[in-house]
Parts: sequence; C-alpha cells; structure tokens
Amino acid sequence: MTAVLAPPGPRPRLRRDRRRWVWGAGAVAVVVWSLAGAGLFSGPVVNPAGLRQFGRFASAALSPALDAEFLAVLGRATLVTVAYAASGTALALVLGALGAGVVARTTWGRRRTGWTAARGLLALPRGLHEAVWGLLLVNVLGLDPWVGVLAIGIPYGAITAKVFADLLDEVPRGSYEALLAAGAGRATASLYGLLPPAAGGLLSYSFYRLECAVRSAVVLGLIGAGGLGYQLALSFASLRWDEVWTAVFALAALCALADVGGRAVRRRVADPRPAGEDRPSRDRLLTTAVLGSVALVAWSWWYLALTPATLTSAGTLEQLSYVLGAAWPPATDGDLLGAIASAAVDTLQMSVIAIALATAGAVLLSGLAARRPGAGPGRWALGVATRWAFLVPRAVPPPVWALVLLFVLLPGVLPGALALGVYTLGVLGRLVAEATEELDSRPRDALRAAGASPLGGWLYGVLPVLSGPVLALGLYRWEVAIRDTVLVGLLGAGGIGVLLSGAIAAFDWPAVTTVLAAIVLVTLVVDLVGERARTALR
Amino acid sequence: MAAGERVAVVGASGAGKSTLLNVLNGTVVPTAGTVEVLGRDPSALRGRELRQVRARTGTVHQHLELTGALRVVHNVNAGRLGSWSAARAAWSLLRPQGVPEVRAALDRVGLADRVFERTDRLSGGQRQRVALARLLVQRPDLVLADEPASALDPALADLALELLGEPARSRGGALLVCLHDPALALRHCDRVVGLLDGRVALDAPATSLTLADLERFYGVVR
Repeated sequence: MTAVLAPPGPRPRLRRDRRRWVWGAGAVAVVVWSLAGAGLFSGPVVNPAGLRQFGRFASAALSPALDAEFLAVLGRATLVTVAYAASGTALALVLGALGAGVVARTTWGRRRTGWTAARGLLALPRGLHEAVWGLLLVNVLGLDPWVGVLAIGIPYGAITAKVFADLLDEVPRGSYEALLAAGAGRATASLYGLLPPAAGGLLSYSFYRLECAVRSAVVLGLIGAGGLGYQLALSFASLRWDEVWTAVFALAALCALADVGGRAVRRRVADPRPAGEDRPSRDRLLTTAVLGSVALVAWSWWYLALTPATLTSAGTLEQLSYVLGAAWPPATDGDLLGAIASAAVDTLQMSVIAIALATAGAVLLSGLAARRPGAGPGRWALGVATRWAFLVPRAVPPPVWALVLLFVLLPGVLPGALALGVYTLGVLGRLVAEATEELDSRPRDALRAAGASPLGGWLYGVLPVLSGPVLALGLYRWEVAIRDTVLVGLLGAGGIGVLLSGAIAAFDWPAVTTVLAAIVLVTLVVDLVGERARTALR
Repeated sequence: MAAGERVAVVGASGAGKSTLLNVLNGTVVPTAGTVEVLGRDPSALRGRELRQVRARTGTVHQHLELTGALRVVHNVNAGRLGSWSAARAAWSLLRPQGVPEVRAALDRVGLADRVFERTDRLSGGQRQRVALARLLVQRPDLVLADEPASALDPALADLALELLGEPARSRGGALLVCLHDPALALRHCDRVVGLLDGRVALDAPATSLTLADLERFYGVVR
C-alpha cells in the first residue's frame, strides 16, 4: 500500500521556557556571587591547625559521656526543653486561632485593602527568629520562663495564623453558604461548614508546629533559656566533647520522638478509620494524642512555674515602656547603615550557599533515603541508615554546627553558611525523601523493566517529576534559612545577627530598631523572591 | 404562590431554575425587581430578621452542600442551626444533641443505620437523603428544592417529593421544586411553571397538563 504523506512542514524547534531559564541562570549567578563573597576563590579558607582538635571531637562520638550524674542533669534539661516547646506551641496555637480569623479571606470578603493590611501586620512577628525574640524579651521581662514561652509563641503564632487562615480559605464555600442560607449565624456556619473539612489540616499542622518547637526550644537554650541547648553550650565551652556528644544524641532522640509521633498523628488524620455502626466511635490514637498534648501543656505550665502576673506587673510594664521609648527614633547614622548593608549582603550570601548545598545534597541522597517497597535487604538497610543520618544534622542547631566547623575553617561567612547548609540538608533530605515516596513508581519501574540502569531510571523516571516539588521545597526552606542565618550570626558567625547581638548587648536601642528593620526587610525580600520563583516554576 | 401550594419549575438546563431558587433563599440579590418571601423581602433584611426568614426557608441544593467531613448526625442537625444558639451548636459537635429526632428523620428516608457514619463515605443517593433529613428536622414553612431526586430510584424519588410536599399539604407551607422528570412534577405538584431563557413560558395547573406538554420544555420533540 502506498500512502501519500503530507509534505513536511517546518520542523518544530526545541522550545525552552524563557522565564524558567532566566530564573535558572539568575540562581546560578547568585550562587557563584555568594561563593565568591564567602572568599572561596580568594585565598585559604581551611585552618589546618584545627584538624587535630576536630579529630578529637569527632572520635568522642564513639565514647559519649554516660555517667549517672551527667545523665541525670541531661534528663532534667530534656524536661525543660520539652516544657518550653509544649507551652510555646500552646500559646502559638491560641494566638494562631485568634489571628486566623483576622487574616482569613473569608473574614474580609472583597475588602482587599483590609486583608492586605492584616497580612502585613504578621510580617514583623514572623520575620524575626525565635532567638531574636528571646534576646529582646529578656530585656523586658528579665530572666523569667515567660521569655522562652513568648519567644516561641509570638513568631509561631504569626506563622500559625497565616497557615490556619490559608487552610480555612481553601475549604469549598458551598456548604458554609448553604448553612447561612438556612438561617445559621456566621460563627455557627463556620463551625459546621468550614472547620470540619479543615480540621485534619489544622490538627496536622499543630503537631508539626510542636515538632518544630522542640528544635526552637533547644536554640533558646543556647542563648540562656536553660534546657538541652544550654547544656550543650556549657559542655562545648568547657571542651567536654564526650558530654557534647551525649547531648547531641539526646537531642536526636527527642527530635526523632517528635517526628515519629507527629507523623503517626498526621498519617491517621490523612486516612481516618471507618466509623462504628450505631454510636460515635472516636479514634483512639487521635484522642490520646490530643488529650496527652493538653496534659503535657498543663504539666509544662506547672513545671516552668509560669505566672500570668509577671506579664502585667508594674516592673515589666515600666521596662517595656522604657525600651520602646528608647528605641524610637531609630539610629540613622551613615556608619551604622553602611555596616548593616554589608552585613545584610553577608547574610544573604550565607543563606544562598546554605540552600544550594542543602538542595543539591538532598536530591543526591533522597534516592537512597526514600522507602521503596519490594527492594532488597541491602537497599532497605541503606535507606534506614540514610534516614537516621539525616536526623543528626537537623537535631543539632546550626550555631553548634558553626562552632564545630570553626575547628577546621577560618572565621568568616563560610563556616556559618556551611553550618546552615548541613542543618538544612538534614531537614530538606527528609522532605525530599518523603516527596520521592509519594511519587508514582510505575514510570520508573517500566524503564527498569526495559533495561535501564538504576541511575537511568532515576534520571528519566524520577528526577523530571521530582524537580518541581524539590525546587518549591528548596525555595521554602530558603525563606526559613534566611531567618536562621540571623540566629547563626547572633552567636557570632557573621552577618546581620552579629550587629544585632552587639547592639542589644550595648543597650543601644535606636540601633536595635534599625537592625531589626533591616532584618525584616531582608526576610521580606527573600519571601517575595521565593514566592515569585515558585510561581514561575509552577 | 399561595399557602399550601406545591409548584414544580421545569425548563432546560440554564433556563434559570437554580437562580430562581437562590434569589428566593436570599443568597443571590436580584439585579432588577423585588422578591417577597414569607411576606418579607430578603435582600432588604439584615441580621436577626434575615436569619429568622432564612430559618423558615428550607433549601435542598442541587449539589447538596453537605459537609463531607462531618458525621451524618451533625449534617442533619445543621438544619437546626437557625434556631440553636452558637454554644449549643458547638457542644453538639462533641455530644450530639437531639439524636432521637435525627434518628426519626433518617428513619423516614431509610438511613437510620447511618447516623454516625461520616457523610463523605455515603453514596450520592444516600447523601441526597441526608439532605432531605436535614430539611425534616428544620421544619421550614417554605421548601425550595433543586433536583432533589436526581440520584434516587423511582420509589425513593416519590418518597422524597412526598416528604418535601408535607409542609405545604399539612401546615399551610409551600413547595417550590425544580424537576427534570415531568412525571414526578405532574404526580406531586399542583402547578407547573416552565422557564425558557429566564422567562416564564408556561404557568398552568398540573391537572390541565400532559407529559407531552412538559417534554417540549426539554427540547424533546416526538
């Protein structure tokens, strides 16, 4: 049979999405600029003299301090950390629930200006790291347990308000409006039409916040709030490496516990059990988790001896009005502004290096870390080992990583950047592994069945689908990293945090205001760029 | 519409049936003209007065608009939110209130064994019956229903219209129901209104009409 084919038209060209290419090229340029800024291409960055000390530190991992006395101290420290995490989260959830009503689109309807203003109000509490809040609050409240609770509760409350509002706004309107049409009030209609569909998401997010709060409580310990972080800093300062490692393992265990518990709850919420026949049966696991958490919060309140009177005492109010009065107007002299500008650049570069390192590492390792049903025992063991290996980097707060890296690196932007990179790798590695597990495995299996190598199957069957979510996660973690960079700086590793801790230590309140404004501005810019990049990638 | 009247609205898709219902229950404000529902204009009412009129109007929506994540008992109880206080509504989510009435209502639609099932685990027809049970506990004077029998078998469809017409027959209420099935319209309604492109093209007592008259409205030419 002869077929007459149409004459070939102009050949279709390989078209590349220009917007994506501009973003990609821009990202590469920024990473190179950051590495240059960190001094990677100009002179030595490694400190060979510190290698011996680093070796001693590393080898102590195999012989952690296990004497009863230290373990008892560590046990009490763990309780303090847990108590701060629980009561901070409780406060954040209360603030978040109240705030969600204020910033939800449902509340504002078509009044866009009001909605934008309400959202803008959240930028200040959200833009400052928990540790920054801690340092500021110490100056108002003195050494009071409320400092730790508020330092977690305020920024977390702002984030929670935003996320809760988004969750409520995403619920389809039909049922809510039908209830209004049947004469229900707005509060009641929300209770029956909006909250139930969002409840799973709200509960999941609350437990996720609790997991994060454990890490934040450790960080607050580093700046003096007590608990595991404080113990870690003490042992580090007295060069007791064996104790440092015990504390690190305790941290990892605590984080693992929070992860596992939070995950179990979130899985159950996502896939609920079927109901009983003729009476309401409640899910045991969820009921236990919620009641247990309420009990935990009550215990923390008692254990930390929190008294609401402290917040409204005359001394507190007087100190607050003094600090606020001294902090206005902000300092605007040229030297300070110049220093802030160069520190802001350092901070930005640190965060860029950190996130580039973490994203690359997470993508490379995620193939190993992801659970793959039906794989052999060797692959299974490797997966378990990788997942556990991600736990240590994210259990240890970035400032401690910076101290460790300072053994072998010369001071500057690089140790802070790498410290943050290692920490973010721990977090991102887990997230990317989870994203990999959720992928449809059939395309890859088909490629393997057609004779592709494991790497080939991954390149053609996994990476193309994975790159979208991974980049989105990376950009999201960049927004978190910029806040953590300030924290690393607070403890001396360079960037804008150094200026802040200096100004607070000198009680130079006008300068503090200026630095805080700069921090909020930098975080806002990063949030904005991240948001735009995510939209371009979609 | 007079008290005690049962009116069927027929018309092709897009003729304006759903819009008519939404104007009547006050969720859509008419761009021209006025509406009077239960003696009041819903678009002129605010706050408590509006809620009172709305509580006396029961709607079965085309897409039902049930809350899938809630148990059936709460979705049925949602019919009473117009008369319950916010505190009672909140408490009922923890300890279901008025379960006997809910059970009785579900019994009438044949779903008594599903009281505590999650609503999104039910089939389309079962959910339609949950929406009917919600209407039964609401006990409205004016019933507005948009395709309330679309997912029901013929026997259940008759039962559904029977229940919807009850306020009109026994308490001097009224029923306005959009139907795609001309036979159901003729069997259960006193009057039939046909809509064509948003205008009334037919308004006659059900007894004076035949199936063939109605089928013309759906573009079925025999």
